[in-house]
Amino acid sequence: MEPPESTAAEKVILQWDSTASEDARERMIFTGDRQEIERYLDAVDELQKAMSSASLSDSSSTTTSALQIAMARLEDEFRNILLSHTSPVEDEWLTESTQLEFASQEFELKEEIAESSSDKQFEHQESNSSSCYKTTSSIREVDLIPSDAVYDLRCIAERMIAAGYLRECIQVYASVRKSAVDASLKKLNVEKLSIGDIQRLEWETLETKIRRWIRAAKICVRVLFASERRLCEEIFEGLGNSADDACFMETIKSPAIQLFNFAEAISISRRSPEKLFKILDLHDALSDLMPDIESVFESKSSESIRVQAVEILSRLAEAARGILSEFENAVLREPSKVPVPGGTIHPLTRYVMNYISLISDYKQTLIELIVSKPSTGSRYSSDPNVPDMDLSEFEGQTSTLALHLIWIIAILQFNLDGKSKHYKDASLAHLFMMNNVHYIVQKIKGSAELREMIGDDYLRKLTGKFRLAATNYQRSTWVRVLHCLRDEGLHVSGSFSSGVSKSALRERFKAFNAMFEEVHRTQATWLIPDTQLREELRISISEKVIPAYRSFLGRFRSHIESGRHPENYIKYSVEDLENAVLDFFEGYPVSQHLRRRSDILIETRYDMLMADLISRGQTSVLTVQSSLRLFPNASTL
Amino acid sequence: MPATDYQESSSSPSSFGFSILSRRRDQVHSMESTHDATGQETELEAFQRQVAERFQDLAAADSHELLSIPWIRKLLDAFLCCQEEFKIIVMNNKSKLNKPPMDRHISDFFERSVKALDVCNAIRDGIEQIRQWEKQLEIVLCALGNQRSIGEGQFRRAKKALVDLAIAMLDEKDSNTTLAHRNRSFGRHNAQKEQRSFGHFRSLSWSVSRSWSAARQLQAISSNLVAPRGNEIMSTNGLNVAVFTMNYVLLFVMWALVAAIPCQDRGLQTHFYMTRQFLWAVPILSLHERILEEAKKRDRRNSCGLLKEIHDIEKCARHMNELTDSIHFPLTEEKEREVKQRIEEVRRVYDAIKDGLDPLERQVREVFHRIVRSRTDGLDSISRANSHD
Repeated sequence: MEPPESTAAEKVILQWDSTASEDARERMIFTGDRQEIERYLDAVDELQKAMSSASLSDSSSTTTSALQIAMARLEDEFRNILLSHTSPVEDEWLTESTQLEFASQEFELKEEIAESSSDKQFEHQESNSSSCYKTTSSIREVDLIPSDAVYDLRCIAERMIAAGYLRECIQVYASVRKSAVDASLKKLNVEKLSIGDIQRLEWETLETKIRRWIRAAKICVRVLFASERRLCEEIFEGLGNSADDACFMETIKSPAIQLFNFAEAISISRRSPEKLFKILDLHDALSDLMPDIESVFESKSSESIRVQAVEILSRLAEAARGILSEFENAVLREPSKVPVPGGTIHPLTRYVMNYISLISDYKQTLIELIVSKPSTGSRYSSDPNVPDMDLSEFEGQTSTLALHLIWIIAILQFNLDGKSKHYKDASLAHLFMMNNVHYIVQKIKGSAELREMIGDDYLRKLTGKFRLAATNYQRSTWVRVLHCLRDEGLHVSGSFSSGVSKSALRERFKAFNAMFEEVHRTQATWLIPDTQLREELRISISEKVIPAYRSFLGRFRSHIESGRHPENYIKYSVEDLENAVLDFFEGYPVSQHLRRRSDILIETRYDMLMADLISRGQTSVLTVQSSLRLFPNASTL
Repeated sequence: MPATDYQESSSSPSSFGFSILSRRRDQVHSMESTHDATGQETELEAFQRQVAERFQDLAAADSHELLSIPWIRKLLDAFLCCQEEFKIIVMNNKSKLNKPPMDRHISDFFERSVKALDVCNAIRDGIEQIRQWEKQLEIVLCALGNQRSIGEGQFRRAKKALVDLAIAMLDEKDSNTTLAHRNRSFGRHNAQKEQRSFGHFRSLSWSVSRSWSAARQLQAISSNLVAPRGNEIMSTNGLNVAVFTMNYVLLFVMWALVAAIPCQDRGLQTHFYMTRQFLWAVPILSLHERILEEAKKRDRRNSCGLLKEIHDIEKCARHMNELTDSIHFPLTEEKEREVKQRIEEVRRVYDAIKDGLDPLERQVREVFHRIVRSRTDGLDSISRANSHD
């Protein structure tokens, strides 16, 4: 049945019916002459007008048929315009946006946006889009499609929606844009990884991926998704049925889920201490992005994306908390029992202290995240495996995070105390504690952040602790040695005027020599890595041993020298000992035995020389000093 | 609650002169370690019974209900309940779960449950896929549903949507070639270029890589899943039966989801360990059998999902296609009545999907969350029990 007559508008439509003519199939309207475009759009408008004014019965089937042909045509035109503006543009701005770091470029880009949006043909566009990119300062929308093409798209969308073809319009729009967004994600290296894939990867590999993800997520949310949303608004806003929201969501939902799935997988990965800092990086990045995510996905329909981002953020926070408590557990339970040779700093101490100084670098985030106090010893006071410690004295003056740091140091010491028991030599155990606690103190003092958090009170306690360990060391090594140099037991009350037992004296000298040699031999292999601490301890040893030996020598030398083989008993001069003390705590065995006075080399230090001179009764300091200056071979004095 | 009663009575003799804090610790301790054999048994038996009841209930579904969205939601509900009860068992048996052989069993379970998370994500993608088909039905309804009179134009519009629907519903592997013509009412010379971009679009509907396979994931969940042996049941006081049960429930629920909903490389040949010694095994295995039978039916064999609503889409689309092919204008009154009837059918299907998918998606998400939570809490409490032992 032939239609009775065709209107002019219908003729235009039918002329472009691609099922009817080869020419109509080959050519696109919107790539051609502007006049032709206007003519076609006018025809569609006329058709619709005719449709809506026609009464029930006489809305002729030719009109509806023509309208359907027109809509199919417009759908194809719509797709074609979209397709011709996908990849090339995006290539430029994606690489450009990666350099957004530079403020000047940001500015240029913003200006560009402002310019392009100002010559939009639609009146309502201006106010709206400008408000859009002012919402958060970090969002940077770019023009995904040039404004004249956007204009054409909107012209078509208007007509399709008016004719009830909204669904088709959304369908075409979303399918094309989605593939464009997908291509951009690929370019940004946003991979499609399953949770299983991510769990199988090495942590180092994941660290790189996390770093890359953070960069990509910023561009995705602030540039890519934000620009997609603006494009939807430019084309569909005000055309009813919240078409802009629907288009945005259908374009972005899968890519957004793909993007967030990675962070989600990281947030649920197994908790172990080394992951803390990258997890915090991820947390901080996402937390920075939250206002932008909320603004880009503000519509009701995109709620699920918003919700997922919030969930991930809170999971990351939870993971950080979990890792910290996991870390505390690990510090407490670190099981190595083999004593560190030489009583130096245990690897655990280094690890823990480096870890907590990194924690202090992240303190801003962690202070917010760590809200519950550590589960300290008081709760487990009957438990011998947990240090008994009351943190309440530090509460109030410091953050919960700082309490955790103090607690970690406390359990570290507790663990080290346990390890020190594995040294057979009690002196070495004390030296080990001294070294390690001293290291802890130095690490705290070395970081302003850490020092501030730990606070002076606890730092004083720690300082007291390593000083005590030093004292304990000296007591346990040197009391025995100095005992040989006491007067008691040497004087015999009898008829002889001298009143000194030669044999007892000889035994004393022998005992002293043996003990000192032994201490020298072993403790030269011990190690105090901190030079200043090493120096201080040696001085302190010298201050105790040297004067005692000197005076003992002064008082009893004559008794030995008057007998036979005095060199068997007085083996060492005062400066021999002074030199010997210099070998202590260097961490390697001395090659020769204790050097005799005859071997003394020029290296003798000024202060030792002085001491020696004074002990020999050469009193004038002046003389000594001048002689030193005049005679480099000072020891020959 | 018997467990609570027991806890109270056991704690009183040990509460001599300790501080309140240490006493509380003692209570927790005693509740676990001296957890009286009968107390634990009733808890574990109750778990077996509840799981069995839930699945008997699910198995009671007739062939219309089975694999429908409401049934799937009921299945997920059952899973969430089992998961909750299992979680309590884990909490009450921390210290046993960190010693061999239970430590291995429970960590196996947590590993399996992580694998289920990927299935949940794939299912979410699949639901999104069904939503795309829903959109095509919506167009059919737009074209033919609300018109005062139905003309050729409307039919052409509906037909176009039906063609798109058919293409979209083709299984992934067959569809890429046809995609160039997707949505096109006429061909054009640059078809090749478009094919590329639509290829992108297709791959995008899955958020996991192309190599990911639901069938393999199920295989991984099911591997090494065997019923505990008698002597081990004795030595663990039946605790390993609870873990096995939860593993089995997890596997079955994930398998059923993959059976019902489109996802990448579906495959239902996952091996199900045959065991009838447990109360719940009978209903689960009978459901397994019924679902497999459904998959073997001729009209479902090539389907992209056994979900009843997908079948309904296929049916109503076929009816609509037949109708549009047989139509001549002007419509006879009889044809017009038929059209109205068919449209009502489409509307029913459309409404069921439209109303069903959102809550289903949320529930799948909830399953995801609960699995994560139970794993995190479980690992946490077990490791803590470890450190304070």
